[in-house]
Amino acid sequence: MANKNSGKESGKGKKDNLTRNLVIGMVVLVIAVMGGLTVASHQSSSKATVPSSVSKADGYGIVFNPSASPQIDIWEDFQCPICQHFEALNNSTINQVARSGLAKVVFHPMSFIGAESVLAANAAACAADQGKYLEMHEALYANQASSENSGKFTNNFLTALGDSTGITSKTFASCVANGKYLDWTKNIEADAAKHNVTGTPTVFINGKEINRNTQYMDPAAFKKALTDAGVKL
Amino acid sequence: MKEKYLPWLTLLARLILGGVLFVAGLLKAKNTTEAGMAVRAYRLLPPGLANTFGYVLPWLEMGIALLLILGVAVRISAYIGGVLMLLFIFAVSQAWARGLSIDCGCFGGGGSVAPGHTKYLQEILRDIGLVIVAFYLTKRPHGRLSLDKSDS
Repeated sequence: MANKNSGKESGKGKKDNLTRNLVIGMVVLVIAVMGGLTVASHQSSSKATVPSSVSKADGYGIVFNPSASPQIDIWEDFQCPICQHFEALNNSTINQVARSGLAKVVFHPMSFIGAESVLAANAAACAADQGKYLEMHEALYANQASSENSGKFTNNFLTALGDSTGITSKTFASCVANGKYLDWTKNIEADAAKHNVTGTPTVFINGKEINRNTQYMDPAAFKKALTDAGVKL
Repeated sequence: MKEKYLPWLTLLARLILGGVLFVAGLLKAKNTTEAGMAVRAYRLLPPGLANTFGYVLPWLEMGIALLLILGVAVRISAYIGGVLMLLFIFAVSQAWARGLSIDCGCFGGGGSVAPGHTKYLQEILRDIGLVIVAFYLTKRPHGRLSLDKSDS
């Protein structure tokens, strides 16, 4: 062996290279595995259990007045402080439109703020099955914690909150406790991505976002955006 | 004197770039849904690709950070870190130029913010600082307390 000597000489360097290469290999592997798992965990699933008022065609959102027009889509996160503010300003208008059938209203409860948003969205979907989405939606904002993921929105708390809106069914409690619609919350997120929703609240009228600078936080301007689209308020 | 302190400067540079990348990756990894949304908010990539980038980026950042902190493949890691920073500078600049109102999502968070609540200048300046640190490391990757013995 011609290079036996040189191999012996660099013996120490070789050993260090082994450690170094092992570390590189491990790091590359971890990046690939964790990256792959993360991508996989966010896929929309057609097998997810969905609430009865949900339409796949409407991005798995919770639909009121499916045959009415125009269509209003609302993306929200129950832990989002600006959504709470938006809700306080425009809640009565939105409720009137949804309850009186003045337009098709689709709610998309997102959960990007974290674990408690996922639980809240699941509970809201459970309430929707009991015909109490609007009431639950209101109760969630009224009871929003002052900081995100602070431990307030637990399943016990959310069940009690649902009960306070007048839900009596035991199905609701088990739906919340079992996280019946947890997979569905991923479908909502995947669809929000398709619509390039990058914050909450986001409101579309007939597929087009209203003006972020002027039409969200001014109840009169919000109403006008609706009436301009043909909603008879 | 100079030769005595330079290896320690390299170690410091590795810890700064590695430390920032590690914290940035860790905070993003805690909420990857939001990480995906943060990338979408730049409106540079189609939503599907933007999400994928957002899901993988936290792990890439933490991986590069570990290599830098341990002193493994420092030159290549510094190149990747530097290119990432240049990419971030480009993305934030184009958001600023196009009048988008977003949070950079550099350390978790991200997405749309109220107009007037953007911090583009600070974000760009910080990233320029990190590009300089990364550039230094590509020139002088051999520092103290490093697993690398010779090249790269």
